[in-house]
Amino acid sequence: MFKKSKASVALASPYLAWCLIFILVPLGMIFFYGLTDKTGAFTLSNVIAITEKNNLKSLILALILAFISTVVCFLLAYPLGMILAKNKVNSKGIITTLFILPMWMNFLLRTLAWMTLLENKGVINGLLTLLHLPNINVINTPLAIVIGMVYNFLPFMILPIYNSLARIDDNVINAARDLGANSFQTFFRITLPLTLPGIISGVTMVFIPALTTFAISTMMGGSKILLIGNVIEQEFTLTYDWNMGSGLSLILMIFIIINMVVSAVSDQKEDRK
Amino acid sequence: MKKKLEKIYMGIILLFMYLPILTMIVLSFNESKSRSKWGGFTLKWYLNLASDSDVINAVANTLIIAIISTLIATIIGTVTCVAMVGLNKKTRAVIMGMTNIPMINADIVTGISLMLLFRVLHFNTGFITVLIAHITFNIPYVMLSVMPRMKTISPSVYEAALDLGAEPFFAFRKTILPDLIPAILSGAMMAFTMSLDDFIITYFTKGSGFDTLSTKIYNEVKRGIQPEIYALSTIIFLAVIILIMARRGLRARSMQAAGKKNVSYAKKSSKGRNFAILFAVIITCIFVGLSFGGVFRTKENQVYVYNWGEYIDPDVVKQFQKETGIEVVYDAFESNEIMYAKVASDNAAYDVICPSDYMIARLIKENMLQELNKEKIPNAYANIDPNYMKTAASFDEGNKYTVPNFCGTVGILYNKKLVKEPVESWDILWDKKYKGQILMQDSVRDAFMVALAKNGYSINSTNPDELKVAAKDLLNQKPLVQAYVVDQVRDKMIGGEAALGVIYSGEALYTQRENKDLAYVVPKEGSNVWLDGWCITKNARHVENAHKWIDFLCREDIALKNFEYVTYTTPNLKAQQMIEDESIKNSKVAFPDEDTLSRCNTYLYLGSKADEMYNRLWKEVKSGE
Repeated sequence: MFKKSKASVALASPYLAWCLIFILVPLGMIFFYGLTDKTGAFTLSNVIAITEKNNLKSLILALILAFISTVVCFLLAYPLGMILAKNKVNSKGIITTLFILPMWMNFLLRTLAWMTLLENKGVINGLLTLLHLPNINVINTPLAIVIGMVYNFLPFMILPIYNSLARIDDNVINAARDLGANSFQTFFRITLPLTLPGIISGVTMVFIPALTTFAISTMMGGSKILLIGNVIEQEFTLTYDWNMGSGLSLILMIFIIINMVVSAVSDQKEDRK
Repeated sequence: MKKKLEKIYMGIILLFMYLPILTMIVLSFNESKSRSKWGGFTLKWYLNLASDSDVINAVANTLIIAIISTLIATIIGTVTCVAMVGLNKKTRAVIMGMTNIPMINADIVTGISLMLLFRVLHFNTGFITVLIAHITFNIPYVMLSVMPRMKTISPSVYEAALDLGAEPFFAFRKTILPDLIPAILSGAMMAFTMSLDDFIITYFTKGSGFDTLSTKIYNEVKRGIQPEIYALSTIIFLAVIILIMARRGLRARSMQAAGKKNVSYAKKSSKGRNFAILFAVIITCIFVGLSFGGVFRTKENQVYVYNWGEYIDPDVVKQFQKETGIEVVYDAFESNEIMYAKVASDNAAYDVICPSDYMIARLIKENMLQELNKEKIPNAYANIDPNYMKTAASFDEGNKYTVPNFCGTVGILYNKKLVKEPVESWDILWDKKYKGQILMQDSVRDAFMVALAKNGYSINSTNPDELKVAAKDLLNQKPLVQAYVVDQVRDKMIGGEAALGVIYSGEALYTQRENKDLAYVVPKEGSNVWLDGWCITKNARHVENAHKWIDFLCREDIALKNFEYVTYTTPNLKAQQMIEDESIKNSKVAFPDEDTLSRCNTYLYLGSKADEMYNRLWKEVKSGE
């Protein structure tokens, strides 16, 4: 098994076949549909369609909302990760479990919970009315979508950041302190760079789903706000234009590839150290 | 001081994470359907949930898919990781590269790519396609967990075992597997979690009549949030907590046990048997799950029905199943366009569908329907009002393809408490007074109809200038609109969430039963009168049963029962005569007078060019500000 043998090839071949049929061929089909028109002739128009006003708008809005959500998640998760990593009680993991427990609830139920809270006649407005305070009007706005994204994806940011923080050797921090670094310097020159891989993986795990979601924007946005995910989804389920839908998906893949390159580069840097 | 700050910070985030869940738990015991009022303690939502077989099926599907896909993915993933060590560097890199694709790719891209594959290969079954999709995205989680561990294992013990005469598999089981177990388990756990939580990939790969919890909830939310969902959330939350506690307990115990006894290679006999038992259990699980999913069952006596949401009395479906013994697989759509996309991409997905006039014309023109066998649906010809048959003939020459089901108008439903002035014109939907109080239809033709009629244009306009004016009006209206919805109008109007909503006539009578303040009006500028009919798809798999379904629904007692539930105008003359309730019989909403009808027109199929124009402009409205 450890030698280069025919047995290894035989054992790996089911998976290779699986990858071929269910990963590579389907991806190839997106390229095929995205780069042809309804008659099957080659065209770039489905990809160029992203420059149309409506599509571009939904892409830019999705980028903005995903960016804001990622930043908010990061700002919330990093201090939390530091607190959790520092807490020795936490070695048993009870507290960490508490923070990722909502992840096991169904994703749509989590979103539904916020719909319930933010609706015009929802729980928050009900309480505000009870207290004779003016009602808030958040549901069906971009803010509601951001709240939905942050709530759903926060555990995906907490987990990798916490893991990378917990892995830092205390001695490294102590050494920096001994050499005269103040806590500010220690943080920016030692802790932050050491947790960069965790941050990058957290950012990826929040940014990509946020950029490409259509469920959160439909539920929290009342179908008034179209993100690029909604546009693509509707090309398949409403307009019945597979070519256009695939073409726009190719645009999404560009962002995914950029993300891959960024994490690969940081991995390499990590290796060189 | 710092400690305190830290605790406060953690508290705030915990509050942020758990408050929504706690709210749902509280609301699951709320007698009142309203989300902002406490109506007393009740368990009725739990009881309702327990009798809702659709939800229970969806939960079962979710669990079966998660368990089987995790087991298969764990086996394939582990075997591959072990095999990888024996492969050359290049092959290894290729495999790891492919493994990374589903991890990094957006769910929507993975989902769409698999959907394209299944559609092109004409895969039908919902269960198997979802299972394949889940295995595909689960394998990487197992591999990425097992691979790093595998790399650290030194081959020397294994080789020593071989030298001592052990069979390769025995040696592997004794030397390598024990070291891999923790990594395999954590990979499997991750895969299981991801499978349970997945929505997007399931959404694209599920076929007709199959739902997991996620897709079920998504459909439910589109209809409006029902308190039963809160009960479901509470149960799931408790189940998760119990599972996690159990896992922690188990782990603590096994750690204790490990501390007491030194587990050694010597205890081989019982271990060997354990392994065999485990393997047998896994295989049994997979087979039991697969047969539950219906893979080995050839279910012939079925009929796949695709109907509008909120468009049938559930008891009618039950009665049909009881009387005929045919299992009904029932899905609902929100608009003609959604129905079209589904039927066009997989014509055999459903046997019987219920589109509207203009869409029937389109389906006939594109050769997606089959002619009805008139001998098999005698009730239709005996009971349906000949006038409606004539109307149907206007888009279905010779009444070959469709039998009228329901008809109605489009109008404004408003809450008399919130709208004090008389509602006569579509213009009120542009009145700034009602900002955030207006619900518009999330369907191209209906939305444009409102704007076209408001401007005095034909509701079947194909004039680009007129359509641009209409689109501009819709854009101007957008800031006033609370949401674009279809089936949610009902729930939101009953709950007083909005003052005005564009809605189909049948919903008016239904909602008035629940909220007396609601009134329905067909504006003076005119509107749409529509006729929905039952059709059988070209490639239907259960043609015989489809005819039985149509004939059953045309039977006078069934048509009456159905009418009394959905309250759209029934074209069934005998059923009309049997209505006892005078107020419904004389209701102008259920049976509009000549004056109203003279203002209304049917939609015509405008051709693919005009369709594209409508769709493009509608997208502009939806993505505009």
